[in-house]
Amino acid sequence: MGAATTALDVKSLTKVFHERGNKSVKAVDSISFQVNQGEVLGLLGPNGAGKTTTIKCILGLMRPDTGEIRVFGENVEACYPRVLRNMSAVLEGSRNLYWRLTVWENILFFARLHGVTSREDKAHFENLIRLFSLEDKRNAEVRKLSQGMKQKTSIVCTLARRTPVVFLDEPTLGLDVETSLELRHVLKQLASEENRTIIVSSHNMDVIQDVCRRVIILSQGRIVADDHISDLVSLFKTKAYRIILLEPVPEGLEEALASRFKGATVTGDGRRTEVRVNLLENDDIYTLMDILRDRGAIIDEISNEETDLEKAFLEIVRRERNNHESS
Amino acid sequence: MNPVSILVAILQRDWAMMRRYIVNTVSSLVSIYIIFLFIFLGIKGLSSYAAIGALEGTLEGTVIGFFVWTFSVIAYSDLAWSLIVEAQAGTLEQLYLTPAGFKWVAGCTVISNLALNFVPVVLLLVVMMATTGQWLNLDFISLVPLLLITILGAYGFGFALGGLALVYKRLQAIFQVFQFVLIGFLVVPQRLPWAKFLPLSLGNSLIYDVMVDGVRLWELPTGSVLTALLVGAAYFAIGVVIFSVCENIAKDRGLLGHY
Repeated sequence: MGAATTALDVKSLTKVFHERGNKSVKAVDSISFQVNQGEVLGLLGPNGAGKTTTIKCILGLMRPDTGEIRVFGENVEACYPRVLRNMSAVLEGSRNLYWRLTVWENILFFARLHGVTSREDKAHFENLIRLFSLEDKRNAEVRKLSQGMKQKTSIVCTLARRTPVVFLDEPTLGLDVETSLELRHVLKQLASEENRTIIVSSHNMDVIQDVCRRVIILSQGRIVADDHISDLVSLFKTKAYRIILLEPVPEGLEEALASRFKGATVTGDGRRTEVRVNLLENDDIYTLMDILRDRGAIIDEISNEETDLEKAFLEIVRRERNNHESS
Repeated sequence: MNPVSILVAILQRDWAMMRRYIVNTVSSLVSIYIIFLFIFLGIKGLSSYAAIGALEGTLEGTVIGFFVWTFSVIAYSDLAWSLIVEAQAGTLEQLYLTPAGFKWVAGCTVISNLALNFVPVVLLLVVMMATTGQWLNLDFISLVPLLLITILGAYGFGFALGGLALVYKRLQAIFQVFQFVLIGFLVVPQRLPWAKFLPLSLGNSLIYDVMVDGVRLWELPTGSVLTALLVGAAYFAIGVVIFSVCENIAKDRGLLGHY
C-alpha cells in the first residue's frame, strides 16, 4: 500500500482579532495538523474554540496572521483563489442557499461557479438528490422546504461541486434525529465511495463519533487533542468508575475523595450512595479502595463508566481550562 | 475556470429571481416612472423653468437625463445592494468560494444586471417619450457604447460602495443620498471647464447629441468620446481599488459573513 496523500497541511496557523481599546483575542493560536486524502476528520470544541475561524482561514475567507496552509501541496495564500477548485464548504447550513430558487437551480448555480457543468456531472447531481431523498423536492423553491431539507440541499450543493476536500461546519444543526441519522449514513457512504477528504465541525458528538475516525479538539484556539476517536475514548474508559454503596453517605468520605481525586462526586438518597470518580494513575484504584475500606463502606456494585466521545471531550476541555487558569 | 460558465450561472440565477420577484421588478419600474411623471409635470408647470446644464430647459434633456440616471442608479446600486443582501442571506461567503475569484462573480453580476435591465429600461424610455410627446432618436449602435462609457463611472461607485458595505454593512442611507448626487453630476453645465471630469456628465452630454441631434457615434468629437471613456475608466478603477482594500479589511477582521 502506498503512502497516503496529504490533502490538507496546516502549519502554525494563528488568527488574532483586534478589538477596540487595543484589546485583542487570539481566536486560533499556532495550530498545526495534517489531513490525508480520504480521511474524515472531526473538529470539536466548545463555542469560541476557533473551529469556524480555522475553517474560514483555510478557505481564504479570513486572512490568518501567521502560518502556512497547503491543500494538495498548493499554498493557499499564493494560489488563491485557484486553490478553491479543491475545496468547498457548508458554512451556515440553509443560509448558504438562494431561497427563491429551486433545489435544482441552486445545485446548478453553485456547481457552475466551480465549472462543474458536464452531462456526467448532472448525473452525479441526480445521484446526490436521490441519496439525500430530495427527489420529490427537486423543483420546489428552497423557501418552501423544511429546515432539514434546506440543510440537506445545502450539503448537496456543496458536494455537487465535486471538490476533493469538503468542509461541513455544523451540518446537523437544526436537524431532527431521523434526518441526522440519514445524513450520517450518507456522509460515511460518500467518504468511502468517493475518497473525499471531509472535515466535519460539530457540537453533536454522536455525529462526529459515527462519521469520523479521527478528531481534533480545540479549546481556546489551541489543539488540545488530536487522535483517533477510539484511542481517545479508551484513554478515558479505563479510569472512570461508578461505585454503589449499600448505605447512606459514610462520614468523611466526600472530603477524603475530594482531597485525593479531583472532580469526584458523592451522592446519596439516604439508603444508597453513588460515587463517581476518575482515576488518573493505574494504582489509584488501590487508593480508592483504601479510602472506602477505612470508612467501612459496603460496596454493592463497582463498574467502569461507559465512556463515549462526549465524556472524553468534556474531560479534555475541562483539564485544558484548569491548566490554562492555573498557568 | 471559464468566466462564461460564471456569467451563464449568474444570468440564469438573476433571470429566475427576476421572474419570482416579478412584483418587485415591475413596481420598481413603475416607481421610477411615477418620479419621472412628477418631474415632467413640474417642468410643465414651471413656465420660468431655467436652462440648467444638460437639461438646457428642454423636455428632451429631462427624458435623456432620467434615462441615463436610471441606468446609473441600477449600475451603482445593484452590486452594492446585492453584496448587502447576499451577506444577510448567507450566500456571500459561498460566492467567495468561486475558484475564479469573487471579482469575476461581481463583474458578471454587473453584466447580468445590465443585460436584464436593458429591455425594461428602454421600454420605460419609450413610455416616457410617449408621455412627453418627445420622440427621440434611438440609434442603439451609437447609444449602447456611449451608455456603457457613461455608466462606467457609476459602476466604479458601485464597487466602492460595495466594498464599504463589506466592512460597514449598513449603508442604506448613503445609497439613498447618492441617487441625488448622481442627478447633480447629470445636470452640471458642460460649459464649466471641470464638468467633463465628473462621472456621467460628459457621457450624458454625448448621449444628448445622439438622441436629440441624431449625431452618430463616429461623428462625435473623438476627443470628447475618449475623455468620457478615460474619465469613466478612471472612476471605475478607483472603485475597484477601494473595493479591494475594503475586501482585505473585511478578510482581516473576519467580516465577510457578518450581516
